[in-house]
Amino acid sequence: MYRYDEFDHRFVAERAAEFRDQVRRRLAGHLTEAEFKPLRLMNGLYLQLHAYMLRVAIPYGTLGSRQMRQLAMIAEKWDKGYGHFTTRQNIQFNWPKLKDVPDIIDALAEVEMHAIQTSGNCIRNTTSDPYSAVAADEVEDPRITAEVIRQWSSLHPEFTFLGRKFKIAVTGCEEDRTALLLHDIGIQVVRKDGETGYRVTVGGGMGRTPMIAKELRAFLPRADLLPYLEAALRVYNLHGRRDNKYKARIKILVHEIGIEAYAEQVEAEFAAMDRDAVAAPSEEIERIRAYFQPPELAERSASSPLIEQMKEASPEFAAWVAQNTFPHRVPGHVAATISLKPIGGAPGDATADQMRAMADIAETYSRDEMRVTHEQNIVLPHVAIEDLYKVWKALAAIGLDAPNKGLVTDIIACPGLDYCALATARSIPVAQRIAERFASTQRQKEIGPLQIKISGCINACGHHHVGHIGILGLDRAGIESYQITLGGDATETAALGERTGPGFGYDEVPEVIEKIIDTYIGLRDGDRESFIQTYRRVGMEPFKEVLYAAA
Amino acid sequence: MAKPFTTSVITAHDLVEGHAVFLGPEGWTRDIAASMVALTAEQAEEFTALAQRHVDGNTVVEPYLIEVSLDGGSPFPIARREQIRASGEPTIAFGRAA
Repeated sequence: MYRYDEFDHRFVAERAAEFRDQVRRRLAGHLTEAEFKPLRLMNGLYLQLHAYMLRVAIPYGTLGSRQMRQLAMIAEKWDKGYGHFTTRQNIQFNWPKLKDVPDIIDALAEVEMHAIQTSGNCIRNTTSDPYSAVAADEVEDPRITAEVIRQWSSLHPEFTFLGRKFKIAVTGCEEDRTALLLHDIGIQVVRKDGETGYRVTVGGGMGRTPMIAKELRAFLPRADLLPYLEAALRVYNLHGRRDNKYKARIKILVHEIGIEAYAEQVEAEFAAMDRDAVAAPSEEIERIRAYFQPPELAERSASSPLIEQMKEASPEFAAWVAQNTFPHRVPGHVAATISLKPIGGAPGDATADQMRAMADIAETYSRDEMRVTHEQNIVLPHVAIEDLYKVWKALAAIGLDAPNKGLVTDIIACPGLDYCALATARSIPVAQRIAERFASTQRQKEIGPLQIKISGCINACGHHHVGHIGILGLDRAGIESYQITLGGDATETAALGERTGPGFGYDEVPEVIEKIIDTYIGLRDGDRESFIQTYRRVGMEPFKEVLYAAA
Repeated sequence: MAKPFTTSVITAHDLVEGHAVFLGPEGWTRDIAASMVALTAEQAEEFTALAQRHVDGNTVVEPYLIEVSLDGGSPFPIARREQIRASGEPTIAFGRAA
């Protein structure tokens, strides 16, 4: 894992001290709220519906046990005993008091963490594949590139006040698990003629104007990464609209002037700039690379008689292994997903006890490492198959053994109107009611891969546009109303969902989802055809008929 | 034509704690039932001006008016959002209770 160097330590410590002083001046009345608000936002501190909220950066979602234990300590000491893992692979604390935030920031700094650039119109946490250094087809660990970008983008003076926030994701695989094409810039590590470089996409995003990214460069040599990103952001920063915040994202610029015109300007800027001044020195890249050396895992037998025996003995364990593990490039190992979607729970929430237990499990069985996924789960990246039963037992003891990864109850949901000041409707209880309706493991398995994603407002933090079934909660004259979309896809075959028609009331949603799923089951071509495949084959009409015919 | 006035109370966030507070006869309270109700637009303006003085005095932030119904005998927010906010917590079990 990446460890801070002296520069990182100093920078975070100075920033913590600076913010402590800003909070002190605010509480003493020397700063007004208008003066303080931009300062607190730069340090990840929001004012939400019920309380302040502190969003902590987890670079590319990678987290060590020591860090997870510190998050648990913070949750217990200064919050209400839990935290919420987000779709940006970060964690949010929902109840900090303003006077305690400087102490929280200091506690984060003790374990090389901070809340810088988790808010505001700057380059946000660069996200990455939760199966980094695991997937067999990975060209290279994408976190090397993500860390280079993190260092370049941290307090970048030119990009601290962009027109809007800016999100970058990096993957090292063809099969995308980062929602790459829904990012302002997406970077895929690729190999061409023996040379490693990048495919760059631009202009994706969700929000009120969702768009799928377009290819900006099919192949960018590795050394050109930062100058090219700098050129791409500079063109956006110069031309992006600032008159209307809803039109200020790069997707709007690319859409309005066209990808060709935008690409031309980026190439012109790239050609004209002093590239050497911006490019990361190769020694620095090698220094970073050294931190991401994969752990030395001894090859083991791919099948364990013990584990096979336990699977026979426990159908719950067998279901969990089948659903929540992913093949590791080192034989005899897997990446195991800890689902933060227990039936009836709040998606992405974990209590301090659960965090500590996950830290212990990671320390013992996963080389001290965890990954936060954009689907709001936690991955243990390096688990020996032989250890799976012990891992599962330990997870079951804390109620995090749901065998539902990628299934109907593995729902992404934003905090919604239960927490968020911007929300127009609740998300979490909608997710809970759907999960309760499909609680049976057997039924979930029969339904197969299905992603439901719920947002409590048009800003789309819950990724509803790219849910196989998307749910958008709106306010209709003070009453919650939910629009349903079908056919969205967050992967390399990205697609935006299509609206079924008029929205539904809060109480109707679980029934509506069940109707959609029953319709799919009735139409699918054998039980191997997934929901999204069936939808692509049959289209919207049969679903519309079922949902609106009787009305 | 201007929208007819709806009875309202004034709410804000406590500066230190961040939680929702409502302006009552003896200052800010967490209990909306104990808040002062503006029955006219003029009263609402008075309350708003008073709240602004408390913002300047550094006790609360981001004050705004919310429409309330008095049908139950004490002020109760009309919008779902304000009902949830006035309750002081999510509508779901959270943390260890979840």
